[in-house]
Amino acid sequence: MKRTMTLNLTETEMTVLERMCEEKGLSKTALVRQALRLYKSVDERLARGEKVFVESADKAEKAELMVL
Amino acid sequence: MKETIGTVPLFDLNRSAHCNASLFQGVDLDTIKGIEADWTPVFNAAAPQNQPEDAHWEWAAKALQALRNPLSYELFGIEADAKTQGMMLVLKGGPKCFSRHPEHPRAPLVYLDFLATAPWNRPGLTATPIYKGVGRVLFMTAVSVSIEEEFAGRIGLHSLPGAEAFYRNRLKMTDMGEDAAYQNLRYFELSETQVKQLIAARP
Repeated sequence: MKRTMTLNLTETEMTVLERMCEEKGLSKTALVRQALRLYKSVDERLARGEKVFVESADKAEKAELMVL
Repeated sequence: MKETIGTVPLFDLNRSAHCNASLFQGVDLDTIKGIEADWTPVFNAAAPQNQPEDAHWEWAAKALQALRNPLSYELFGIEADAKTQGMMLVLKGGPKCFSRHPEHPRAPLVYLDFLATAPWNRPGLTATPIYKGVGRVLFMTAVSVSIEEEFAGRIGLHSLPGAEAFYRNRLKMTDMGEDAAYQNLRYFELSETQVKQLIAARP
């Protein structure tokens, strides 16, 4: 069963959302669903004490990802 | 919770005819017990050199993983003759679910985490396999999930060495080489173009 919600976004947030939907070929619903899954996945790893790093393409920089 | 979601065709090799099987989503205790009771003895009876690479997979643990995280995991199975003929676990979101294919880099996809057919359907384990088509039906179910999620049917997976030929030659996936970050298993993707070709070629 699916439930419906209203999401209030600023103009900037909506612009970014629409641009990403266009780029990824997803509806707003599908994109938010994917964002939620990714957020949860990363958050669960951090909760287990694991670390998530982001590395630059040339491997020169590596930063630890922090999540609120 | 286990729910039958459709009827799918399998090829009965003894009768040389198609027959109907049930496709289900989710899992229950009877299914897990059935796999333990029916599959494990066949794996254990195989000669050491014939021991399947997936014989150690613990489907009870995978079912628990799916039950604990229904947001991202989906479990599917096929039943015929009151026995589980195949199982599959797919991932719908998270770090593994981004395409590496040059056709659509970073596009979302469904990641096929585990797929196994019952041991009595494997030509490498028995001289007289019973059903043909279990792996393909489960794979096409993953493609359907990908389409439903608006991922255009895109699929990604790491293959055990013994299954590489199936993904490369039968399903025409792109072999993207060994993945040093994943036990050096080869990484395969079904691109959007390949999805269309696979669906068009479907018997």
